[in-house]
Amino acid sequence: MSATIEPTVNGVRRRLTVEDDDLLLDVLRQIGRTSVREGCGVGACGACTVLVSGRSVSSCLARAIRYDQAEITTADGLPEDDDVIEAFVEAGAMQCGYCIPGFVLMSHELLAENPQPSREEIADHLEGNICRCGTYPEILAAIESAARRRSQSGVPIGETT
Amino acid sequence: MPEDSFETGVAVGERWARTDGRAKVRGELLYAADQPARPCLDVAIHRSTWPHARLVSVDTTDARAMDGVVAVVTGADLHAVLGERMLTGPAFADQPCLAYDKVRYVGEPIAAVIGYGPAAVRRAAEEIDVAYADLEPIHDVDAAIAGTAFVHDELRPSAVFGDLRHLRGKKDTNVNYEYTLRHGNSGAAAETAAHTTSGDFWCPPTHHVPIELPFTAAWPEGDRIEVLSTTQTPSYVRQTLADLLDLPLNRVRVRCAPLGGSFGAKMYDRLEPLAAALAWTQRTAVRIAVTREEAFLLTTRHGAAVTGSMASDEAGDIVAAEADVRYDTGAYADVGPRITAKSGMIANGPYRIANATVRSRCVYTNKPSAGPFRGFGVPQVTWAHESLIDELARARDEDPAAFRRRNLLREGDVAVMGTTMHSADFISCLDAVTGAVGWDAPLEPAAGRLRRGRGVAVGIKAVLTPTISNATLQLNQDGSATLLISTVDMGQGSDTIMAQIAAEVLCLGEGQVRVVTADTDVTPYDTITAGSRSTYHTGNAVRLAAEKMRDRLIGLAAGRLSVETTDIKLTSDGVVSTQTQETLTVPDLLLGHFGARGTTLTTEADFATSWAPYDKETGRSPQVTEHWFAGAAAVQLIVDTATGRVHIEHLAVAGDVGRAINPALVEQQLTGAAVMGIGHALFDELVFDEGQITNGTLLDYQLPSIKDMPDRITPIVIQSPHRSGPFGAKGVGETAIIPLAPAISNAVRDAIGIRFTRLPLTPERIITALAEQHTEGGTA
Repeated sequence: MSATIEPTVNGVRRRLTVEDDDLLLDVLRQIGRTSVREGCGVGACGACTVLVSGRSVSSCLARAIRYDQAEITTADGLPEDDDVIEAFVEAGAMQCGYCIPGFVLMSHELLAENPQPSREEIADHLEGNICRCGTYPEILAAIESAARRRSQSGVPIGETT
Repeated sequence: MPEDSFETGVAVGERWARTDGRAKVRGELLYAADQPARPCLDVAIHRSTWPHARLVSVDTTDARAMDGVVAVVTGADLHAVLGERMLTGPAFADQPCLAYDKVRYVGEPIAAVIGYGPAAVRRAAEEIDVAYADLEPIHDVDAAIAGTAFVHDELRPSAVFGDLRHLRGKKDTNVNYEYTLRHGNSGAAAETAAHTTSGDFWCPPTHHVPIELPFTAAWPEGDRIEVLSTTQTPSYVRQTLADLLDLPLNRVRVRCAPLGGSFGAKMYDRLEPLAAALAWTQRTAVRIAVTREEAFLLTTRHGAAVTGSMASDEAGDIVAAEADVRYDTGAYADVGPRITAKSGMIANGPYRIANATVRSRCVYTNKPSAGPFRGFGVPQVTWAHESLIDELARARDEDPAAFRRRNLLREGDVAVMGTTMHSADFISCLDAVTGAVGWDAPLEPAAGRLRRGRGVAVGIKAVLTPTISNATLQLNQDGSATLLISTVDMGQGSDTIMAQIAAEVLCLGEGQVRVVTADTDVTPYDTITAGSRSTYHTGNAVRLAAEKMRDRLIGLAAGRLSVETTDIKLTSDGVVSTQTQETLTVPDLLLGHFGARGTTLTTEADFATSWAPYDKETGRSPQVTEHWFAGAAAVQLIVDTATGRVHIEHLAVAGDVGRAINPALVEQQLTGAAVMGIGHALFDELVFDEGQITNGTLLDYQLPSIKDMPDRITPIVIQSPHRSGPFGAKGVGETAIIPLAPAISNAVRDAIGIRFTRLPLTPERIITALAEQHTEGGTA
């Protein structure tokens, strides 16, 4: 069975025809959002992470048909001056880079919930994302830097830019 | 040598940002499967359910009749067209892309379904019906050596390595290669030694698990075949496909994209022979995108058994060391024979050893093929020698770091395999890591059920030799540069390193050198991107090409300014006459030379290394490698005796990189390899049951997460310049993983008094050992 869904992807309303069992991952990639990636197919690595109304979702486990009217954000749809992206770039928080968009989105979710996370809280939140290159020290530094800057610039809790 | 004693340049030694860093963070970098390609049919693979069996029949009738299926191709179909050319492999030509006579591991490809959409072809692949005639399976290296069942009827060394030629046609064996080293008489020396330690060590097979899944697309383009693939070895793949399809090299094009990690997983023959054979024989465009479960079947890290011993005299000199190494290479040799020799020759460790013996064998079993993995077999032998020397120090009641320091190889020493040491500063690595973790300070005991300990280990590895790199450099008329190399950036940052080397010679700034992604139609030959070889080899080719470019610019300027070439200097401002101080910018110089904007000036260079083959009797060679990697790790950790869990408080890793072209990227390689090594030490393991992988999904296969990070991790860059490295540099991709597992195990030994010989040190294994220690009164 196919159906039409109308999610908003990175601020743009899309009208998409999907099959019952189409994965959100595949549908997003088909419309060019290749920052969303398959790494495991079982929700265990985080490379396919997207934000739906600010909450992280493993798009490799999500049926696209359930995302009618959803507000979906992918890493490549974040603003040019996104503070988390800037923090990752400045910290050198990337090696092969394949998993990093997932980490960026998880960091946004974390900082929206908890603007001043401890190192342990950061680790708890990112435990489900795997960076096989082992860029964890730089990722930790990037998130701490982003949190510090938000507190200095007085961005209110819940805002993502 | 301290960093500040180097001459300061414009690029080398600088912490330049990665050329693609922002695109990676934003998710805008296109990996292979994201690249624009022509519409391709999907491929699904029917795989063997038996570890070892003759193929009786492969019935594809039902699969062919299913919706969306365009073709079903069996191994027999391809064999009818390609014949023995279908057998490929880097060291042995023993692996068919689809099995046609027998299957040799659970998961081996037997038939391919080509059609519309991944779901349709997968459904059809399940409808293929295979009849098998069971053969005796071989699951274990030692059983394979002793047994009477054979994975291959005869050995088939490839044309690549001349020293394997004598093995052709050898029957009735599962040992496809054996390396032996004899230096002095270790047996006699051990008999009179004051202290001897020995043990049977085991490293299990593991998997690379780069998060980007392997992917290959292939299509015929007129009389040519084009391939877009996730590979570290485009030049190798081009030759393989040319041989497979009997085409000249100029009719095979292999394109790469940045890799989403690899660690050895995406090299030599993976999906490319099958994709190319299907595309060529069916005259259609195909794409093979495997699942994570299938990726586990493509290659693994060799499980390895090491029976080893080490002995010292009363004065504390190492008088004898022996190692019997058995690498489980699985059903196909891949590059296992090379691993067996390259790792075998350093299986006794980087020490001054009076008498040494090594026997290192590469053994077929009925498992997925094992191939290259970060460290190239060396972590497995290091696990043995760094555990042995630790126990030997303890037997002598000597500090393990001090005992190592006294016996480590130094500059100018000839190692047991006959080659002289240069630019391999083990002592500085050891001192740096022990200093970082406060080795000499008293260890504060942990409270209650917790036990604290410290451990250290060193590691040595030879760079792959001989190999070849080429570079083509275009200087654009506007002064920017475009560099063409076939080195593949898979996260190690080679594009940035090579840009810095070219920029240093040509006085260019950050962002002014663009590195073209490998494409065999465009970029010149490079042996492989592996074995930490690129900074030295490709780096030297880039340096030479840039120096030729500099000389051409100076020649052009001398003509233009009517002065001798010796009067011209290239600076960041352009070419300057030292006599008249007259300056010409590079854009002006090239505009004047060509009379047109947008022109390019091209230079090229090649760089090759050579070796002396092993002596047939002794296994020794005066030039076994172009250079050495030296590293060390020290760790302070806590063992929870109730749960068996290990908590790492501080991990310090050091590597001698000759010269750090980009210290930030060097540190990242050191910590990244260390994090991977933590997994190998504590939980990373591919589990087999009757030849079947039982944990081949990421729900079951444990990888280091951010929660496994030590409280503190300290990367330390040691720089003892290599006499012929580009600006003294060598590579660093593998250095830190080599000593990692024994460093952790030695710290566990220090904490709870138990010597582990099998990896990984899981909580279960530690708890069980603690229980046995309790009942048996504390034996190791």
